[in-house]
Amino acid sequence: MLKNNDQWPGLLFAALFMIVFSLMTCSPAVAAPDIKTLNTVAGFSREKALKLGEDIYRRGILPTGEPVRAIVQDDIPVTGTMFTCESCHMRSGLGSIEGSVITLPASGPKLFKPLTAAELNDDLRLAVFKDKTSLSIRRPAYTDETLAIALRHGADPSGRKLNAAMPRYLLEDGDMEILIFYLKNLSASWSPGVTETTMHFATIITDEVNSRDRKSLLGPLEWFVRAKNARADYQRKKTAGRQFVEEMDRAYRLWNLAVWELKGPPETWRSQLEVYYRQEPVFAILGGISTRDWAPIHAFTEEHGIPCIFPVTDLPVISETDWYTLYFSKGLVQEAVAAAQYLEGLPEATPNTPVLQLFGNDPESAVLAQTFRDYRVSQGRAKPIDLVIEAERPLSREAADSILAEHKNPIVLLWSGRSAPATAEIMMRGPQKPKVIFMSSTLLGDAVYALPESIRKSVYLTWPYQLPGEIKKGAFSFMNVWLKPQETALANRTIATKAYFTGNMLVEALMHLKTNFYRDYFLDVISMIKDQTSKIPVYPRLSFGPGQRYASKGCYIVQLSQGPSPELIRRSEWVVH
Amino acid sequence: MIFMTDFARNCLCLIAFCAFLAGPIAPAEAKQDYKRTVEKYSVPDVTLVNQRGTRVPLRSLLQSETPVMFDFIFTTCTTICPVLSASFTNFQRKMGPESKKIHLVSISIDPENDTPKKMKDYLKRYDGQEGWDFLTGSRSDIDKVIKAFDTNASNKMSHLPIIIIWSPASKSWIRIFGLISTAELIEEYKKAAAK
Repeated sequence: MLKNNDQWPGLLFAALFMIVFSLMTCSPAVAAPDIKTLNTVAGFSREKALKLGEDIYRRGILPTGEPVRAIVQDDIPVTGTMFTCESCHMRSGLGSIEGSVITLPASGPKLFKPLTAAELNDDLRLAVFKDKTSLSIRRPAYTDETLAIALRHGADPSGRKLNAAMPRYLLEDGDMEILIFYLKNLSASWSPGVTETTMHFATIITDEVNSRDRKSLLGPLEWFVRAKNARADYQRKKTAGRQFVEEMDRAYRLWNLAVWELKGPPETWRSQLEVYYRQEPVFAILGGISTRDWAPIHAFTEEHGIPCIFPVTDLPVISETDWYTLYFSKGLVQEAVAAAQYLEGLPEATPNTPVLQLFGNDPESAVLAQTFRDYRVSQGRAKPIDLVIEAERPLSREAADSILAEHKNPIVLLWSGRSAPATAEIMMRGPQKPKVIFMSSTLLGDAVYALPESIRKSVYLTWPYQLPGEIKKGAFSFMNVWLKPQETALANRTIATKAYFTGNMLVEALMHLKTNFYRDYFLDVISMIKDQTSKIPVYPRLSFGPGQRYASKGCYIVQLSQGPSPELIRRSEWVVH
Repeated sequence: MIFMTDFARNCLCLIAFCAFLAGPIAPAEAKQDYKRTVEKYSVPDVTLVNQRGTRVPLRSLLQSETPVMFDFIFTTCTTICPVLSASFTNFQRKMGPESKKIHLVSISIDPENDTPKKMKDYLKRYDGQEGWDFLTGSRSDIDKVIKAFDTNASNKMSHLPIIIIWSPASKSWIRIFGLISTAELIEEYKKAAAK
């Protein structure tokens, strides 16, 4: 078949290339060490070594308890107390990109095989290869030895010098062995809840939630599931018979959304959740809604490592370190802090003015009161005077007079739900009336607009959402995708908006995830999403970032204008420092 | 293959060979060198808040004889900010007592999240000494600062490594783009302060 001997050199090159390329791209099993054969790692059991490796990777702490030490930018000494491997490579180890600095994946499955474009997500792929379809090999597979060289001296197996921002670690051999062992196990297998055909999700609804709110949550979420699953036939036809299927297509899965209904008192929720989870493990929990304390659900997701994105709750768990639940905001805690901060700048808040908290004996009011008290104390202020009142009923005239006789012309924090306007009106009648009164718009609900005109100038409201007057016309038209126009009034617009945003974030996150079905990466990806100022009209801004777990950071202080159809008048910035 | 011309076949071989070479000789992820320029900035009339909760009119920082070195960071940043901050830490260490002659100012580009308390904790993590302040503020004020210094930080996840040095002696602004070693930073500071 070959007619011309001149063809041989070219063909020889091609054959040689194909052999080398195959060896470099198709032999991860050869390059990757058999980690299952190791019984001990640096003298520690595998379990202990994993924990110690996690300490090095996430917390920058060596087995001795000393911080990890390294050099960046040629001459800058850094320690694990400043930043850690996780800071840049993220908890999943799948890397990040920020401005001009690219952080490549550091998880075992990625390190111990050649780095090609297929190993990276779109952002990293474009940044490293400048071409999403590149077939080139960035570097050969690491071995334990070459990985140690990279960590200590900043050179990859091809001899390429790593970015000077990559620390050159000063690690002893044993510590290096532990770290490498940890990396080999990092994002080494898909998280639960993903099969070859389906991604399983759940949402959680507690039994006291009314049917309108329930429908407002489920409507948008189920619409996203239907839209995704409607593509199944298209995807099947698109990939049928193809030898090479793009990763995005390989990542396609049907979505299954289970509704986990929790019944009875919160102390029984945990066992109900465990049963649901055993029956059908899920990759993540989408939204969810409860008017009660979210803590039992939070604890469940934290202990199982299940991401829970954007539950609808006013009572989230406030934690600087917990990882798996991403809330819209700090809920009522945010409102109490906003009130306390605004109060600091009020001319009425003189040193001799008593600060009085009247709060109902319900969990929501108690959270507001506790947070306000804690914040005042943290700022070196005197504790407020706390009085528990009945939340459902306005204060009697006698009770109000008695309180004000003892604490004359106070500043009042009135955390008592829908009865607050009537109580405020009663308190404002006497000569010892409060200088100002703060209330929570969340506790008031629709009663916000029922504030009597006579007291509006003295009442400040916490408002943790975008002001109605600043929401663009048509911002809620998305609701028409699953509701008929005449039905939209039947939905709780705020809850529906939150659920719709949750669906949007899921779509965006999974687009970046591709076939990297790791829960930690799912949260890593969301943490790198840019601030949202338009996708969710009920908030002025949602912002994210590694470890940030409360997307909305602000809360306005507002007053009501005069007249029969009052409007909200903004009295503060969204965020006050 | 038998239907290919010699030219096409040789092209295929060449492409295959180039593809093989492309990986190992591709450029590194980021250059280590930095770009230095002299700029003119108009500092906005905004009042920010430092890590102690004290209000700081930004322009007031420029009214003393002390040079000021700015960077733009946020406390949960993944890559650039930790290196910039470690650079400030080491700058203070290497300069020793002389570091008190220059004011280091980090400005948050994530003002919603970066509260005075978080900034104080951050400086503690980096062993920040007296003379290094961290400023936050309202979103609108921070946006004005970001724009004035052309830092491309309106989306914090794509911000750039930038250090800006204000020299009262020469009334000039030096902009350093890129991550930089301590030796280089000290050299840049001395050059700026000497004029």
